[in-house]
Amino acid sequence: MITQEKSIARIWNWRITASAAFVLLIVAIFAVSLGPINIDFIEVFKTLFHLPGHATGQNQTVILQLRLPRVILGVLVGAALATSGAVYQTVFHNPLADPYLLGAASGAGLGATLALISTHGNSYALLPIFSFIGGVLAVLTSFFISGKFFAEPNTLLLSGIAVGSFATAIQTYLQQRHSAVLRPVYSWILGDLTSASWSVVAWSSVYIAIALFILFSVSKQLDGLMLSDEEAFSLGINPNRLRIMAVGAATLATATAVSASGLIGFVGIVVPHLVRGITRRVTNRSLITIALTGAAFLVLADLGARTLLSPAELPIGVITAFVGAPFFLFVLRNRRKAGS
Amino acid sequence: MSDHIQVTDLTVRYGDQTILNDINVSISHGSWTCLVGPNGAGKTTFLKSLLGMTPYSGSIEDKGKEVFKNHQRNVAFVPQNPQIPQGMSVAEYVMLGRSKKDGWGNESAKSRSFIHDVLVQTHLYGMQGNLVSHLSGGEMQRALIARALAQEPELILLDEPTSALDLHHQIAVLNNIELLKERGVTIISTMHDITLAAMYATQIVVMHQGKVLLSGLAADVIHSPELKNAFDNRISVYTLESGRPVIVASKDEVL
Repeated sequence: MITQEKSIARIWNWRITASAAFVLLIVAIFAVSLGPINIDFIEVFKTLFHLPGHATGQNQTVILQLRLPRVILGVLVGAALATSGAVYQTVFHNPLADPYLLGAASGAGLGATLALISTHGNSYALLPIFSFIGGVLAVLTSFFISGKFFAEPNTLLLSGIAVGSFATAIQTYLQQRHSAVLRPVYSWILGDLTSASWSVVAWSSVYIAIALFILFSVSKQLDGLMLSDEEAFSLGINPNRLRIMAVGAATLATATAVSASGLIGFVGIVVPHLVRGITRRVTNRSLITIALTGAAFLVLADLGARTLLSPAELPIGVITAFVGAPFFLFVLRNRRKAGS
Repeated sequence: MSDHIQVTDLTVRYGDQTILNDINVSISHGSWTCLVGPNGAGKTTFLKSLLGMTPYSGSIEDKGKEVFKNHQRNVAFVPQNPQIPQGMSVAEYVMLGRSKKDGWGNESAKSRSFIHDVLVQTHLYGMQGNLVSHLSGGEMQRALIARALAQEPELILLDEPTSALDLHHQIAVLNNIELLKERGVTIISTMHDITLAAMYATQIVVMHQGKVLLSGLAADVIHSPELKNAFDNRISVYTLESGRPVIVASKDEVL
């Protein structure tokens, strides 16, 4: 038996993760019950878990067919963006890295523009597929141009920026030539979860689940990437293989999130720093907490997007930045005080 | 299976620059080998080749197996200029040394108790909650050594382990490393201070312009003329009454 005096405290505390999960659950139930028709909290709870006294008729349809898929999509997208952001920040040693860094956003934007032009702006069926392909292609191009995969992470970063600018230039040119798609493309860029349905939830959950599973399982090894490659190697890590795996999985999650909900900014940067600031834990074993917090953050933002100016909807990107930015600054300020 | 690290015809090139040129040397396990030589002699590159990270021609066999990209070995590496992770605590940093042993999962109770002992041994106990980015040079060096100790390695490679330290801490760190040798760990370090190298090393390898000029038992190497050659005759070797050699730079022999 090891006594407390002869041992150091556990580095990761499961209570932090459990609290984040609890917050997400409360936020989710809250989000399902609020809207143009407010449904009682208890009724929602009973309906979700199919307990006696659950909602029927219109309320049941609103809960199960309209709000629940939207909340679950919010959970998936929030978790995907926050986790990918945290992973990119570690891999590139850059606290400002976000999931769209390697051209995923611009590539997806170009794909979405092409989809809207080819269907004259009135079919959204092709949009997720095109934006997914666009996002993945842009990241692959960045990798390809940077030459030897991770010989120099900064080269990859720069080629990501170049590929992104190139894709944005084509996108802008196409929009100028086809002004009819300007508005739908613009609203897509601001991001929204209005397209949520069980079928969107079904396909996006598969990709996001695979990506997150990979990232969670290598989370502790990712800490080694915060050191030099020689140090990581000596600790038993294959740095290049790990980077390719991590960036690949994070890109899959990001491309899926973007194609399901457009470009929702800020989550990928703010949430990892929020969690690290609040828990004072920088290591990647907080990835699950970051994912849960990202999910709760996005569900809350979406709740704001659809209720603040009800019946009109605000773009969710406006809410994430409007609420996220000041809170982020608050945490940064506090952390600096505590750190100095 | 030989109990040596056998380096045969080792050559390392970066582009058209030859950093290590045809090195042949044998390092026995369980000993402390110091690589000495002037700046630019190729000591650090040699150390990284022994780690298995740097591509080379020729061969480096550790217990009969080629070391390049060999992930089976348990080798600790203490760099001269570590990448300091932002926001990571000393405990997390040192615990990274145990991660592979814990299967990259949560740290075991055994590991936490082991890390406790390592922190006490390296005089870092009580600082485990501090951020590594806030440590002084000497504390950082001890944190690096602590992480290496946490690995319970078979071989430990240290690049200038004492360069950031004051005299008192130099001895403290070197004594810590010497304890490892007593436990059977093989130690290979670069060291610019030859007097310290002579105090601790079993074997000394003298390097100059990417080549090995001389290697052998510490006492033999210190008193050999090749050592002076490596430093272009700008060092003098004195022997104290206790028999301990002291190597100093010669002020009056500047070209």
